[in-house]
Amino acid sequence: MENKSYKILEHPADVRVQALGKTKEELFLNAIKGMGAVLRPKIKDKKEKIKNNIKIKSIDLNALLVDFLSEVLYLSQVNKAVYEDVKFKRLGLSTSSGQTILEAELFGNKIKSFGEDIKAVTYHGLEIKKNKNGLYEATILFDI
Amino acid sequence: MITKDNFKKINDYLWEIPKNFRSDMKVPARIYISEKMLDTIEPDAINQVINVATLPGVINYSLAMPDIHTGYGFVIGGVAAMDAKEGVISPGGVGFDINCGMKLLRSEHSEKDIKPHLEDLANKIQREVPSGLGRGRQIKLSIEQIDRILEGGAKYLVEKGYGEKEDVENCEAGGRIEQADASMVSSHAKNRGRNQVGTLGSGNHFVEMQKVDEIFDQEVAKKFGLFKDQIVIMIHTGSRGLGHQIATDYIRIMVKAMSKYNIKVPDRQLAACPFNSPEGQRYFKAMSAGANYAWANRQMIAHYVRKAWNSVLGEKASKLAVVYDVAHNIAKVETHEITQSGTQKDVKVVMHRKGATRAFPDQPVLTPGSMGTASYVLVGTEKGKEAWFSTCHGAGRRMSRHAAMRAITGQEVVRNLGQKGILIKCRSMRGIAEEAPLAYKDIDNVVEVVHQAGLSKKVARLVPLAVIKGE
Repeated sequence: MENKSYKILEHPADVRVQALGKTKEELFLNAIKGMGAVLRPKIKDKKEKIKNNIKIKSIDLNALLVDFLSEVLYLSQVNKAVYEDVKFKRLGLSTSSGQTILEAELFGNKIKSFGEDIKAVTYHGLEIKKNKNGLYEATILFDI
Repeated sequence: MITKDNFKKINDYLWEIPKNFRSDMKVPARIYISEKMLDTIEPDAINQVINVATLPGVINYSLAMPDIHTGYGFVIGGVAAMDAKEGVISPGGVGFDINCGMKLLRSEHSEKDIKPHLEDLANKIQREVPSGLGRGRQIKLSIEQIDRILEGGAKYLVEKGYGEKEDVENCEAGGRIEQADASMVSSHAKNRGRNQVGTLGSGNHFVEMQKVDEIFDQEVAKKFGLFKDQIVIMIHTGSRGLGHQIATDYIRIMVKAMSKYNIKVPDRQLAACPFNSPEGQRYFKAMSAGANYAWANRQMIAHYVRKAWNSVLGEKASKLAVVYDVAHNIAKVETHEITQSGTQKDVKVVMHRKGATRAFPDQPVLTPGSMGTASYVLVGTEKGKEAWFSTCHGAGRRMSRHAAMRAITGQEVVRNLGQKGILIKCRSMRGIAEEAPLAYKDIDNVVEVVHQAGLSKKVARLVPLAVIKGE
């Protein structure tokens, strides 16, 4: 758990991923790594890199995490890719708009196929909080 | 923590959490279930039925069927009617897989005619109907073609030669909701749908070759064209990535918009807007387009199944006619008779069925079991009125996918099913283990409840001969 920084948890019908991070950025990064693991991609023999820019505005941090993961999921599925790294340009509250904003560059690898189909990222039971070790923690339920 | 003591017994198959259980409930929550099965419901699932009872405009009851299990926001197996004038529409009340549903094709052959060709048929169907998880269709449709499917549904594909007009006559809503508007569907959603028409997806989606094992109602079975030992083919899938994206897009829109309408929900996944608001109307038109895509998807799969059938059986192949095609994740505008202050009146409602099937009187209802177990054909009844003419949708999971994998391997499942004479075709052993029969509730118990409660009646039981799964 500590070195992986995400954990796939059980659920009767769906799948949950618990992500941790010293910073919000690390939490968001570990959440996409967890989501990538749920997709069980078959990586191409020859590595083919992919890069995408994203910008998201949401009403708060919880919504931002759902919207961010949903956008990464969309990109994964249309580009047939898994994203493994993120360079955050901005993540936080915009004082001018009152919205929570994320701007980032995503880095990933093209894949052959997925072993699992994630239908969507849900808000179910989602709450980003600091745990007793001072780490940001969130548990995300994916509909599969 | 909710316990059995919090329930009021209405009858042997109907249990109620009264409105005064929680101050935010607008109506009672009712679950169709046997006393024995009541003990097995997860507390979270009961909470979700109660949460739906808090939504603006909910009429009579928040209902759940015996295949109830925890979803996100709305419970799986949930049914709720919202007043179309005053009430809300909620994407969570439909689910991400818009118009996930069932299609049943009937042959004129008996088991003995088909048995020698079973393996060939299963292989050929598997080749013709990909899962779409990376092995999508080679054909990528243009956005214009997707728009036509979104607005034309299965009817459009039949006009294009991918079926016969009887296919859409035997389909809920004629395979097309007319309020669908492709311009309300995002380019993200359309892109996800471009190479997925005619694909199964993963999880519990399947094509199954089955035989009619038992007939419970000869007269109705005859009307549906069913007879003992007959070979039938069942298709279970939905609107794939396109539908999932529509739901994702509109939940995001509604989470932002709710405060404008002063709507507060106990769980964000229940995000809802008034049906008559711009957001509510846009979602309804987009969701209807997603539903049309799902009907087109099942129609296209039926087309490829027929292609495989004809190629293996050649001249002796009988026609594969459609028994029915029915949604189990959908919101529709329906008119129902209700009693208010002692008088009866017709009201227009936004009917949310999530993991529940419409069951109008005399309408066929298709209820799949878990992989390798029986499925049922039921028929809607007049008594179904008390549940807005709705019934169950399947077995319902009782075990997580990981728990299923710990309990049994894919190879064991294949062997066990093989011993029962059931072939299984799936490219993933893990996928087989995750969907093992032991991970699901017993379909026989679920169907018995809706039969005894009178929401729908048993017509025929179907048993699998060959299962073709996505991944």
